[in-house]
Amino acid sequence: MNFVILSIVMLSIGIYGLLTNRNLIKVFISLELIAIAATMNFVLFAMGQGLGEALLIVAFSTDTAVSAVILAVLVILYKKYGISDISKIPQLIQNKDEEENEVEA
Amino acid sequence: MILEILSVGLIVSACLALFLDEVHYAVGALAGTFFFISLIYALNGSVYGAVFQFAVGIGTLTILFLSGEMLSEKTKKKTSPRKFAALVGGGVALSLPAVFLSVSGTPQGYSTASFGAALWEMRGLDVVLQAVVVLTIALGIFIVLHEKKRGTI
Repeated sequence: MNFVILSIVMLSIGIYGLLTNRNLIKVFISLELIAIAATMNFVLFAMGQGLGEALLIVAFSTDTAVSAVILAVLVILYKKYGISDISKIPQLIQNKDEEENEVEA
Repeated sequence: MILEILSVGLIVSACLALFLDEVHYAVGALAGTFFFISLIYALNGSVYGAVFQFAVGIGTLTILFLSGEMLSEKTKKKTSPRKFAALVGGGVALSLPAVFLSVSGTPQGYSTASFGAALWEMRGLDVVLQAVVVLTIALGIFIVLHEKKRGTI
């Protein structure tokens, strides 16, 4: 059993999901998987010693901050455009700009 | 043997969480991922790590269930049994290298400090500053909501 390889596999799955999924909730899940892959090393290299767990808590707070930012983006996107698909955002912004330009003209 | 089973479960649930079409089922699979990683931590002697991972995981899942219900487009597309089986098979195949291969030179157990000593003597400043940041955010949110209620913003 090797946890380094397990961590690399988790990281690969997370990065693949990040690159292929367009739904913001799936992007969030991908980032969670990447965070798990990273924090796993703190605990498993320390093997029950205190420093690894202390660093894990520091990493959790960073991870939680990232989660909060993504959720805020999700809420703003849904409120403003009614979507959670990040690939549609540039088109929507462009359409909105064109509408505003037409109103001004 | 139990760690190998847990690591297979971890990878399979991660694959399901990413590639299931229904958001609710994907979040459920992510719950499995958190459960498996917590068990792996606990079995490796890191009980605090397991408890924190589980607590953070439950918070994340609650938010994800709510946002999945409220803020995502309702899809009529269902995951076919064939795709589900392919995802499980792919997850098992991906976890096999972790079960059967090994990497030499893996560092293990370089610190002998206990959890409390490591947290307060080595990372004490980090922990206090994190608490300051979290409290500042809470205060900021309170001020924004209060000003919004008064109608000034």
